[in-house]
Amino acid sequence: MRWPAPSTVRWAMLVVLLALWEFVPTTGVIPELFLPALSKTLYVLWVDKHIYFAALLVTLYEVALSMLIACGLGILVGAVVGGLAVLRNLLLPIFSSLYAVPIVILYPIFTAWFGIGSQSKIAFAGIYGFFPVMLSTAAGIRTIDPQFVLAARSMGATLPQLITRVIIPASVPTVFAGLRLGGALTIIGVVVAEMLTASAGIGYLVTLNRTILDSPRVFAGILAILVLSIAYYMLARALESRMVVWQSAGKQTRAASRDAQVAVAAPAAA
Amino acid sequence: MQHVANLSDVRGRVGEAAIEVDRVSHVYAGPEGGVPALQDISMSVGVGRFVVIVGPSGCGKTSLLMMMAGLRHQTEGRILCYGRPIPNPDPERVGVIFQEASLFPWLSTLDNIEFPLSLRGTPREERRRRSQAMLSLVGLDGFGARYPHELSGGMKQRVSIARGLVQDPPVLLMDEPFAALDEQTRMTMGHELLRIWSTTKKTVVFITHSLTEAVYLADEVLVMSARPGRIIDHIQVTLPRPRTYEMMATDVFGRLRDRIWQQIRKAD
Amino acid sequence: MTRLQIRLTRLALLALVMAAWEILPRSGVVNPLLLPPLSLVLQTLVDLLGRPAVHEAVAVTAAEVIVAFIIAVPLGAAAGIAIAENDYVGEIFKPVLFYVFSIPKSIFLPMFILMLGIGFQQKVAYAAFTTAFVVLMSATAAVESVRQDHIMVARSYGATQMQILLRVYVPSMMPVLLETLRISMIFNFTGVMIAEMYASRTGIGHLISNWGENFQMPQLFAGVIVLAAVAIAFNEAVRALEARCSTWRT
Repeated sequence: MRWPAPSTVRWAMLVVLLALWEFVPTTGVIPELFLPALSKTLYVLWVDKHIYFAALLVTLYEVALSMLIACGLGILVGAVVGGLAVLRNLLLPIFSSLYAVPIVILYPIFTAWFGIGSQSKIAFAGIYGFFPVMLSTAAGIRTIDPQFVLAARSMGATLPQLITRVIIPASVPTVFAGLRLGGALTIIGVVVAEMLTASAGIGYLVTLNRTILDSPRVFAGILAILVLSIAYYMLARALESRMVVWQSAGKQTRAASRDAQVAVAAPAAA
Repeated sequence: MQHVANLSDVRGRVGEAAIEVDRVSHVYAGPEGGVPALQDISMSVGVGRFVVIVGPSGCGKTSLLMMMAGLRHQTEGRILCYGRPIPNPDPERVGVIFQEASLFPWLSTLDNIEFPLSLRGTPREERRRRSQAMLSLVGLDGFGARYPHELSGGMKQRVSIARGLVQDPPVLLMDEPFAALDEQTRMTMGHELLRIWSTTKKTVVFITHSLTEAVYLADEVLVMSARPGRIIDHIQVTLPRPRTYEMMATDVFGRLRDRIWQQIRKAD
Repeated sequence: MTRLQIRLTRLALLALVMAAWEILPRSGVVNPLLLPPLSLVLQTLVDLLGRPAVHEAVAVTAAEVIVAFIIAVPLGAAAGIAIAENDYVGEIFKPVLFYVFSIPKSIFLPMFILMLGIGFQQKVAYAAFTTAFVVLMSATAAVESVRQDHIMVARSYGATQMQILLRVYVPSMMPVLLETLRISMIFNFTGVMIAEMYASRTGIGHLISNWGENFQMPQLFAGVIVLAAVAIAFNEAVRALEARCSTWRT
């Protein structure tokens, strides 16, 4: 018997999962309180769509701004720290040590400082995304083949030309990885923050509905977030593959590419 | 075949040397003080000649080439290219080909070739014209729109050579350009290189580890000792041109190669 | 820069940060109610370390962290190895893993709460859930990191499956295993913290959350410092161990 193609199996699993979501609660094997039927979840999502939509906008707004911090700052700092040996040796180990700290414990500080509105979420998610993006970019910068610089110098490139015509184009894959990572992390950061202490946003809705034991609405929120994060991931990948057709064949030190991989793979604990 | 340690008698008349190396020594800073890399190197490369440098690993031949290219500075002595010193890279005088083609993966083949011209601000029309010409010269017509990841090792090196030639420098410096290729491709590339050389009449300084390659390609072979590198032999390769594969099986070829090998073995 | 210079520069930076933390609030440049001076925070820290309520919270958190870890590691490792070993299974699930990692797993926390309440089990279950995924991915990477040629050499000398497992896989994966455990613990800790801060009546995370809500800033900062210190200490200890084991890694 020939095994079916992996993608077929995946789709099949998805269908089975959705089917289970529908029928298992309905038959009462699992109480509706724990897992409302899929149809009910979709129904309340539809009925309350304006509420969820408004909440989604708040969440997206917070994600966008924290992405600016996490990615903008993260990529910049990462490029500088990773690119300059002095800074790298001095600061990088400090940053990777700090990475061990669960950033979420800082959130109460932010709510005390900025209140329960969007500001605290943006600050928190910004920092949450900053470290991994910075570490990933710092590692990625080092994968740029030093031979490129040598070749360009032999062709008479000036320093500004080296930076704009060689280093920046060669950094594009790293930057895109950083953007993808930063986006995923800020979404996670914003959602966690909204769930903990907030007055608006999808995370807030989920928590609110949990406390009043409105399971269908809780799961509607969960579903919305699932769709959001998966959509972001697919979008980021699509953009990345378009722009970076020529996945660099440059020399990679094993250490640098391993670091990059770990930093990239790391994030989603929350 | 003369065995000469110092080459003052092979120097051409004043003004005829494409590259002149005058008592160059180099010491670089190591973890425990200065490490002598090159010792009192003097040599002269005549215009239009194909000179090959061979020597054991670490003898400093790459450093010497880097200095000829203006990418590195010697601690003593001077290097002149067409009578003038070369403190910085000067792609209009000297083209450099490295062991790794180092083509920029985000640029197409043609864009890679014209990269040096675009650094200078050469107008687009002329850039295209010249890079197209170079593409044909190295035998890669039609591959202009391809990207480096679509090319084989040998093709990448050809593009690298085209890039080195695009500004029409009179001198070409090549640091083991075929070392990363398999033997068959190497032989083909060597043959191709000789063709390009005889067409363009450049002066070539070529570094290699392969004794066969050295004898096959060169007019003159300079043998360097182990670190600190000195020139210990200067061999004229009197085989006729154009060189053919059949020559590799001749006695003359074998003797020349053997002589180089003996020199290197002694020096170690 | 020499190693000594680097160490000194880092110490200098630390001193600078500490000085700023002390001076800025005291001088009023920064509101001392929002950012209490370092000396006050440290005083509070010492005071807190003596309180039985804090000891209880620490015990609870520690228990959750350990239990969740013990559950998550075998589960995640088994799944990860299954994915790495079996090509077919791997092909099915590997693309899924990337999607999974983009999802904020904290959104499932309400689900765990609905099912298990807000007690010990729920927090452990949630933390184990999130940690298992990290372990899974690292285990997959670890197994795949064992070089095929090493395996082939062993096979060509007639090694049995068990011998290959013990004499090639295990030593090969050892450094990666340690790293895996270290990273998994980081995420385990984070998971426990989130669960405790979200809906819990016990544990350090709950304490911190409480202090924040009540604007008890010195306590809050003290708690954060202690947690950070513990996390970093653990991380560095395992890192040192890793370094010992990986001298052969290129």
